[in-house]
Amino acid sequence: MRRFWQRLWKKSKPAGVALIVLFLLYATALLANFLSPYPYERQFREYSLCPPTRIHFIDSQGRFHLRPFVYGITVVNPAFKRYREDHTRLYPIKFFAEGRRRILGVEPPGKIFLLGTDLHGRDIFSRILHGARISLSIGLIGVSISFLLGLIIGGVSGYFGGRLDTVLMRLVEIIMTFPSFYLLLALRASFKPNISSLQLYLLIVIIMSLIGWASLARIIRGMVLSLKEEEFVMASRSLGLSTFRIITRHILPNTFSYTVTALTLSIPGYILGESTLSLLGLGIQEPYPSWGNMLSICVGNLRILTLAPWMLTPGLCIFVTVMCFNFLGDGLREVMDPRNW
Amino acid sequence: MRRYIVRRVLQFVPLLFGMTLLSFLIIHLAPGDYFTQLKMNPQISPETIAAMERNFGLDKPVLVQYFYWVKNILTFNLGESFAYHVPNAFLIKERLLNTVALSVFSIMATWMLAIPLGIYAARKKGCWQETVLSAAAYVGISLPSFFIAMLLVFLAARTMVLPIGGTTSIFWTGASLWEKFVDYLRHLLLPGMALTLAGIGSLYRLMKNNFLEALGSPYILTARAKGLPPVLVLYKHALRNAVNPMITIFGYELSGILSGAALVEIITNWPGMGRLILDAVLSQDLYLVMASLLIGGFLLILGNLIADILLVMADPRIRLR
Amino acid sequence: MEKTLVVKNLALAFHQERRPVTILAGVEFEISSGETLALVGESGSGKTLTALSIVKLLPPQARLETGEVRLNGQSLTSLSEREMENIRGRQVGLVFQEPSAYLNPVFTIGNQIEEAIKSSLSRKEKKERVAQMLAEVGLDEKHYWHYPHQLSGGMQQRALIAMALINHPSLLIADEPTTSLDVTTAVQIISLIKTLIKKHHLALLFISHDIALAHYFADRMAVMYAGRLVEIGPTRTVFNSPRHPYTESLIACLPEKYKPGEKIRAIPGTVPDFANLPSGCPFHPRCHRRMERCFREEPEMFPVASALVRCFLYGNSVATEPGN
Repeated sequence: MRRFWQRLWKKSKPAGVALIVLFLLYATALLANFLSPYPYERQFREYSLCPPTRIHFIDSQGRFHLRPFVYGITVVNPAFKRYREDHTRLYPIKFFAEGRRRILGVEPPGKIFLLGTDLHGRDIFSRILHGARISLSIGLIGVSISFLLGLIIGGVSGYFGGRLDTVLMRLVEIIMTFPSFYLLLALRASFKPNISSLQLYLLIVIIMSLIGWASLARIIRGMVLSLKEEEFVMASRSLGLSTFRIITRHILPNTFSYTVTALTLSIPGYILGESTLSLLGLGIQEPYPSWGNMLSICVGNLRILTLAPWMLTPGLCIFVTVMCFNFLGDGLREVMDPRNW
Repeated sequence: MRRYIVRRVLQFVPLLFGMTLLSFLIIHLAPGDYFTQLKMNPQISPETIAAMERNFGLDKPVLVQYFYWVKNILTFNLGESFAYHVPNAFLIKERLLNTVALSVFSIMATWMLAIPLGIYAARKKGCWQETVLSAAAYVGISLPSFFIAMLLVFLAARTMVLPIGGTTSIFWTGASLWEKFVDYLRHLLLPGMALTLAGIGSLYRLMKNNFLEALGSPYILTARAKGLPPVLVLYKHALRNAVNPMITIFGYELSGILSGAALVEIITNWPGMGRLILDAVLSQDLYLVMASLLIGGFLLILGNLIADILLVMADPRIRLR
Repeated sequence: MEKTLVVKNLALAFHQERRPVTILAGVEFEISSGETLALVGESGSGKTLTALSIVKLLPPQARLETGEVRLNGQSLTSLSEREMENIRGRQVGLVFQEPSAYLNPVFTIGNQIEEAIKSSLSRKEKKERVAQMLAEVGLDEKHYWHYPHQLSGGMQQRALIAMALINHPSLLIADEPTTSLDVTTAVQIISLIKTLIKKHHLALLFISHDIALAHYFADRMAVMYAGRLVEIGPTRTVFNSPRHPYTESLIACLPEKYKPGEKIRAIPGTVPDFANLPSGCPFHPRCHRRMERCFREEPEMFPVASALVRCFLYGNSVATEPGN
């Protein structure tokens, strides 16, 4: 592990940074409950579309406070969502302000909205932390299932060849002939809309895996085909090893490095797939947040978009995550390339 | 060359057949009895149901229904929309034109920008210009297309320079043909820009690498040894060889472009296939979903065919095989 | 007689990450018109870089440190890149090792030859000139419209020769022109080059790793080792009575020198890495006649008979020879 890290850092600094950022992102997602100031579904109706709360060290009298604080928020115009800082009320930021379970916050009635609030007055920062759980986990789970499917189908197709290979590869070809977005929506349409949140989450993963296995299967089949002819496989066959043993002990380990790179680079596709479905209202449903469905209110809603551009921050989160995976994948490719060792 | 193209077209026929089968199965193998669901739907009139039952054999087994459907497709009957009460073919035709316009616009813009930028970066290899361009490309590749579209919509709404949504302004009727065209283009600009920005990064990277590879090739040394001026060495010998592999990947890129176009259409409210299929999914208008899916696949095949033909024209090694 | 090419004290270094690495040092030779000089050495000895430095087509990290190149009396050393473009093709033609890679795959043979023409002619005149050149190298007029991949390796090399000679240059540089071809084709190409240089009275710099081929071909021969010329002189002198131990071993390794049943010989050791050349004479680790002095000092070229040899065996060696 340490050697791997050293090599990654030496080959590609961006990949190293990306790995750290990803680690932090996944850690925040795990600790979402603890790190977020409010529960994700808590609505402050009177503070709908409130801009991000500013954190101060110096108050209106010019006095310096060692402990950062926020001012109270006054509603100026509820219709046009105009808010003003109330300089008479001052709330210091405290550890465990709202009970033992949340690390940061301010004493009520003070409010702290680090990234502003949405239409229902929910804290966007808290929702982003919780949404990260969906968006970040779905990439890993989706890739795992697709990979399993691709591995089995591609491996079988490449190893046995013949008619089975022909049929499976035609299927792959057909799936890849559809633009993935069309296929995503069509598959979504064929399942009933009214199901529970957990079912929906699984459904999204399954739908994306049904699309994603095709390209992975093709990659794996190609690798198996080229490896099958390699001498060491021939050698183990002449030793009388079983097919299963040849596949699991000899072919798969040799495709490992290439596969890890391909998988890392395909994770963004799953993250984007989920956010796209949720963005269009076909994925994770309210009140549970995902980075995609937090953006859905902005689609075609110019008023909200211009009034509250901070609503777009989940998009930035998706961008950062996708970029990290891209950097990491490119870095891994460099590191794993045997010619670079 | 003609024989090559004919052969390619013939290769696509079984693929098309497979696509119809898959489109059909996706909708019909879903859990739940589809036909009963249709009858229960208050939006659909009994007459429509009866007509569909006749045309598509809805009371028959699934496999028979498939053949009914294929027969109908071959006569351009894609069924009737449950939600809009008009033939699906009519709905699709209108939207398809807009989607094709958007895709073609952004493909042209992407290529026209990515190729010069790629060449520039390749020639500035190791300089800060290349670093800046490549970093920007990385950002572009990682930005989701829908997010780019949202940012552009936000900017357009703030600055009011570009119209958002629709294909035409309100003064459509009195305008001359040229004015109409310009107006259409103005509306196309926002989704077109979003789609272009989403696609330019990867194409730029490819062009840069291809051009660098071409510059390192032995035939470049030959060209220089002949005493050719740099203009010819770069833009005749290197460029032609760098662009050829780009045509090959055009087919792959197209899938992304069509998907991206559909999504960008929805965000920027451009009335194309994307909006159509989304609305169809939301209103469970399943025959329209099926038809849209098929059309999407068909567009992709068509694009691949065009790419094949372009490549054949560009590369003598394939043309004269 | 007027010398076509004069190369004087050429030194070339690669400027990479840290310190510059010297590749060529003290390379000197001349070629008169109508004469063929063979430059012989193992691969990686700097032969190709010598050729490329004459026309200044060097990789970006390479830099000429010292030396002068004179072509038909004109010094090329101080010429700008623009002026060099006029020299290349017009006064010097180059032919390379692997014809399939050195022809651009997407343009026709005719197009590639025609664009090399430097004089301003009408389109029709250019076409005629190309057709005439094609005939001269043994290609058919129809090959004008062919793409490189449609021709065999031998025909591709003929096309490259046509390209190099289309402006009737006074010097032809042929860098291992037959290495990638099969034997019968190679013979054809060699005899074609021989015919052409005789006909056009060309000076030829013929680069090869094959000393036997060079012997068959050249008027004079230069042997290169680790970026230095170690022996240069008339072919017969060099080949029949090699003076430098390296030349000696090269010739001793030739297949035709074996008696039946004899073991294959090879020069012990490998070509040194330019980044850390041995001290003194770079050949000393592999030399069977090395002296103590060879470890410390690098020899100059000493005249022996009609040749020049870079070895202490042949010059002011008396003073420091051990035991004397």
